[in-house]
Amino acid sequence: MPNSAGHVKFVMPPIGSIGSGLASYRDLTRTLTDEKSTLYSALSAIVYMLQSLNRSPFLLGFLSNHEQVRNMSRVKRRNTHPGYWLSLKNVQKKDDKISADNLRFMREVIQDKYKNKSPLKVSELQIEKTEWDPKTKRSGVIARNIGRQQMWDKDGNKIVCTVLHVLDNHVIRYIPPEEYVKTSRGAIHFKNKTPLGCLVVGAEATNPEKFTRQYCNLFAEVGLMPKKTLSRFIITPNAALPPCTPITAGHFLVGQAVDVYGKTVDHGFQGVVKRWGFKGGPASHGATKFHRRGGTIGTGRDKARVWPGTKMPGHMGSERRYNRGLMIMRINMKYNVIYVKGTVPGATNSIVRIFDTLLPLRKFKEAPPHPTYFPPEDGTQKEEDIWDSRLHVFGSPSISV
Amino acid sequence: MLRRVVLQTFRQGLAQSFFKRNAASLSESAVTQHPIETSEEASEKSGSKQKNGDESGNTVVVAPPEFRFMYPEFLPDPTMERRNKLKEKLERMDMLQRRSIIEIPEFYTGSIMAVTVADSNSPNKFARFVGICIQRGGSGLQAWFILRNVVDRQGVEILYEMYCPLIQKIEVLRLERRLDESLLYLRDALPEYSTFPFEMEAERRLNNSVVPINPIKVKLRPRPWLERWERQNLQGVEDLNLPQRYYDRAKEVAKPWEKYDLMLQYRKTIPAEEQEKIYAEVHSQLQQQDLKRKIKRRRGPSSEQ
Repeated sequence: MPNSAGHVKFVMPPIGSIGSGLASYRDLTRTLTDEKSTLYSALSAIVYMLQSLNRSPFLLGFLSNHEQVRNMSRVKRRNTHPGYWLSLKNVQKKDDKISADNLRFMREVIQDKYKNKSPLKVSELQIEKTEWDPKTKRSGVIARNIGRQQMWDKDGNKIVCTVLHVLDNHVIRYIPPEEYVKTSRGAIHFKNKTPLGCLVVGAEATNPEKFTRQYCNLFAEVGLMPKKTLSRFIITPNAALPPCTPITAGHFLVGQAVDVYGKTVDHGFQGVVKRWGFKGGPASHGATKFHRRGGTIGTGRDKARVWPGTKMPGHMGSERRYNRGLMIMRINMKYNVIYVKGTVPGATNSIVRIFDTLLPLRKFKEAPPHPTYFPPEDGTQKEEDIWDSRLHVFGSPSISV
Repeated sequence: MLRRVVLQTFRQGLAQSFFKRNAASLSESAVTQHPIETSEEASEKSGSKQKNGDESGNTVVVAPPEFRFMYPEFLPDPTMERRNKLKEKLERMDMLQRRSIIEIPEFYTGSIMAVTVADSNSPNKFARFVGICIQRGGSGLQAWFILRNVVDRQGVEILYEMYCPLIQKIEVLRLERRLDESLLYLRDALPEYSTFPFEMEAERRLNNSVVPINPIKVKLRPRPWLERWERQNLQGVEDLNLPQRYYDRAKEVAKPWEKYDLMLQYRKTIPAEEQEKIYAEVHSQLQQQDLKRKIKRRRGPSSEQ
């Protein structure tokens, strides 16, 4: 049942102090030492004095220390409209009747075009050597959630991890802060803040036949095949990367915390019990057609209408969400797979973005691979499968308590 | 395209496996059989793709068909929304790693097993439980089985996760199967059918090639029961002796069309081609592990002393 309207709560002085005026003022000054600004405390002191002397509603209305307590059911929670950074796609099935010969010719052209233009090797890239500092924001990574796998820690406790497959990420472009601020999106993002740069990263190379020439050209400049997914990552200029840089699972460290962004599972049109967790009605005892309904939607007196934001059945899911502070338990460098403790928004086989966490207590204390991880030139790889120290490695002997 | 092998029922598969059960010579026979089969099939269907042979004509290792009964947890959950080949492959690698440490023997529901688990609360730090496997399920690292026994006139069931590192040892004391895939009716049966002594020793099998089926028909206690057993078409239970209205209602509620529903069966199983690929991948490692253990067992008494 929806609660009554969000009401205004008055912070009252302790009841005992109201009788004795002077004593109450002393109490008030004691409580007010916690206040940050002296002006505020002075004002509140006056307010409290007035409250203690005369609790007329007329005086309270204007000068009282109102603490607005909003009922979370009234706060707008969902926005499923596409982000304003996405441009409207005009997807129409093209009726180009291309003959089989022309199709074959097209494919030959594509082969020729991309055969010679291979992506630059890491050794050929010009990567500036920059210093890492705690305020650095590194690039993120586009990954696919491929499912869940359970592992055990050294005490035998089960840990369910989400398996994220870091796709073939390549940097497409770096937009420096001065330029990014001038874009519409950048202007909104950095309205009253110091501007940061933007790294455009693409993942999942596919057949150029599926895209327009303009889209393919974005990647062709860099020598890459067109990517299915693109993403912007806001970074500090010292974490900039040149175009065509590959970003792999080694970009992250085992034991670090990450934020994973994705679109939650789409449940479709759902009733009030699943969508808002209402209890519904009794299953038996004569309940007539009232098992999974919402019940009352208003009081009838207050405002005499249904309040906007009243919890009702409707579309559920497919919302953009961040799951923050998830710990990386294991990284497989060979298959570019990250095992993250906990769950991630979205269904299996959906695309997610992984960032270094912004939770202050879980941020990096030491330098991570900055600006990203590059495998050593001489071919001596780091270990293929890196496990967190708390995990029980499957090839090691059974745990004896 | 589904090959005709796919839709063989469980019982046909059982029969096949019983005929070809000789483990040592089996893999060889499978390998030699398949090139012949594929060439025959190729001549029959000229346009079809040859999956089991390379173009160069190399023989491809194929696991023996009874692997799908011996190691059913290697097959993934058939729900299409959750399937991903890379994740399944990585999971299988982890499973093989665990199997290299501990022997997870072949067992079926109806087999009597003993499991030793590391337990901080028990005096020896290890707890051993003997029981009959009444159900098994899960795929991948989540594979589990339930052992049931009656201890001090109290029925006890324990669910063990097969790949949990706390498990020290899994022994099969008596390898056999029953007439049903799930023996949950033992909960409503007379306690003597679920009682097995903890001191039971491993029984040596006379005939290694066939897993015997125990045709025992269990007597149930008088009603009330935990489930409506008359609706479940149980083979391993004696005549329930219920009033006719129970059977009439069971008929009304029954879904006899399900056995003709091909798509339902398809959605619940992994197609044969994929099964073959999966077992071909793990086959060699499993065989190696098995061999090593056999050698160790033969050498065991002499090497330990």
